[in-house]
Amino acid sequence: MTMVRFERVSKRYGAGKDALSNINFELARGEFAFLTGHSGAGKSTLLKLMMLMERPTRGKIIVDDQDLTTMRPGQVPYHRRKVGVVFQNHQLLFDRTVFENVALPLQIAGYTPAEAARRVRAALDSVGLLGMEGRNPIELSGGEQQRVGIARAVVNKPALLLADEPTGNLDPELSEEIMNLFLRFQQVGVTVLIATHDIALIERMGHRRLILDHGELHCSERQSRKSDSSDLLGDDHG
Amino acid sequence: MAKPGASRNTPTAKKSAIAKMAPATGSKGGKNNAGASIQNMGFRDQVSSYAAHHQLVAVETLMRLWANPMSSVLTWLVIAIALTLPGALWISLDNLSQLSGRFQASGSITVYLVPGTAIKDGQTTQKTIAGLSHVVYTRFIDADTALEEFRTTSGLKDALDLLPSNPLPPVIVVEPQLGTPQAQVLALGKSIERLPFVDVVELDTAWLERLLALLALSERIIWVMGALLALAIVLVVGNTIRLSIAARVDEIRVVKLVGGTNAWVRRPFLYTGLWFGMVGGLMAWVLLAICWLLVSGPVEDLAQLYGSTFSLAPLSASAALFLLFSAMFLGWLGAWWSVHRHLDQIEP
Repeated sequence: MTMVRFERVSKRYGAGKDALSNINFELARGEFAFLTGHSGAGKSTLLKLMMLMERPTRGKIIVDDQDLTTMRPGQVPYHRRKVGVVFQNHQLLFDRTVFENVALPLQIAGYTPAEAARRVRAALDSVGLLGMEGRNPIELSGGEQQRVGIARAVVNKPALLLADEPTGNLDPELSEEIMNLFLRFQQVGVTVLIATHDIALIERMGHRRLILDHGELHCSERQSRKSDSSDLLGDDHG
Repeated sequence: MAKPGASRNTPTAKKSAIAKMAPATGSKGGKNNAGASIQNMGFRDQVSSYAAHHQLVAVETLMRLWANPMSSVLTWLVIAIALTLPGALWISLDNLSQLSGRFQASGSITVYLVPGTAIKDGQTTQKTIAGLSHVVYTRFIDADTALEEFRTTSGLKDALDLLPSNPLPPVIVVEPQLGTPQAQVLALGKSIERLPFVDVVELDTAWLERLLALLALSERIIWVMGALLALAIVLVVGNTIRLSIAARVDEIRVVKLVGGTNAWVRRPFLYTGLWFGMVGGLMAWVLLAICWLLVSGPVEDLAQLYGSTFSLAPLSASAALFLLFSAMFLGWLGAWWSVHRHLDQIEP
């Protein structure tokens, strides 16, 4: 029941120091975890490895039972369709509407326009932006833009959702709102890994933590996600 | 939908909306196709969605060009001019070779006898020539008849009367069989040259031969020039596509990030190249038509002065289609070359 497994993974850029060295960890299916560490600790690199935006120098990465280290370049796009990603700068395209932004992954995957429209509305509904389809993302607030980014990441119904500093540009209140949104996706079975350096927020939410320090991983001891989830949900919504 | 966590009752307004976004195959089983999208579609659906995307991209890219013609009109013009040049030369050449085809029928041999040859000797020579192979017709013109003919056709009657004696030699006109190969006509001329009383043998086909050689040379030049201009089209389209790739780097990154294949990313650019070629080709048609209109009048006037009914034929339908399709192919090739060089370097 493993979603992600890193086996002695190292990544080195050029001839310099290892950006990541000897990383070992597992994420279970449906698990929710934070990836944290000082800036430059290798958080983004670790996420990029899972998206095959980078290849590891050594070691083995298994995502959804597929070995990424042996994956041919031609297969990479199909792997990416199974992984949703959310970025700090949300990577939205401002030359098209919210609807078209969210529909992009479906268009690429070859859905019919009718089916895509249905799914886009479902995705926008899930992030609370139904009714904004026709707007241009540039007209939206930072929090709303980030939610459009999340809608685009989940519109394909990925089993794994990665987020790189998704709350980096948001105030604490909005940050918590976004985090709770991720949490709700975890509750319906999505595996979620969020890279963030917002320590206060992580402290408040609990959950498993993967801590990177100069390219080395220190796993948090709190691994029982069931109690984590119920604690937090009790706090927030109880 | 028995998902872990889904069974827990969470009081949130978006609960049902989120539940719809559960991974496609859920978390049980741990099968390889969790979160799959395209894998769930049938082969026919995939093919039809592939075709639908082609159609969509084709229409979209065409509309984009149409909506903003000023941005690409320069590229179109360059393509059109690059096509018009060899096109116009080709029209001229085509017309010239048709003209030379008409002359081919009149490739006769004129045999000048030594001045002062007796009529009897001339007639004997004529008989000898008539007996040679490939000869279908001979005519002997003695010096006096020749002078008489010259007097009536040249309009130099008065000047000729001043001459003390007849300067013209007797002539035998020889017509080889129609369609005799050039080499055999030449051989025939050589053998006539060796006969007694023969002074000079003039092959009327000599100038035709030169013309044909010139036409062959021009054709070669057109091909070389065409190849160079084709290269120019490829480079111009390639550069235009490079600029449009640069303008859409963000989009390409995002598309690759959410699982767009290289072919998917390439597609709009390749279609854009194809449309560049098409519009350029159509504009070349217009330019060629204008050139033809400008030139065909004076050509007819010139032909009339030579007593000919020759008129300049426009580009034939097959040549016009060839021009259009090669333009589209070159546009596509330019786009492909540019995309190949620049697109694969853009990685998220």
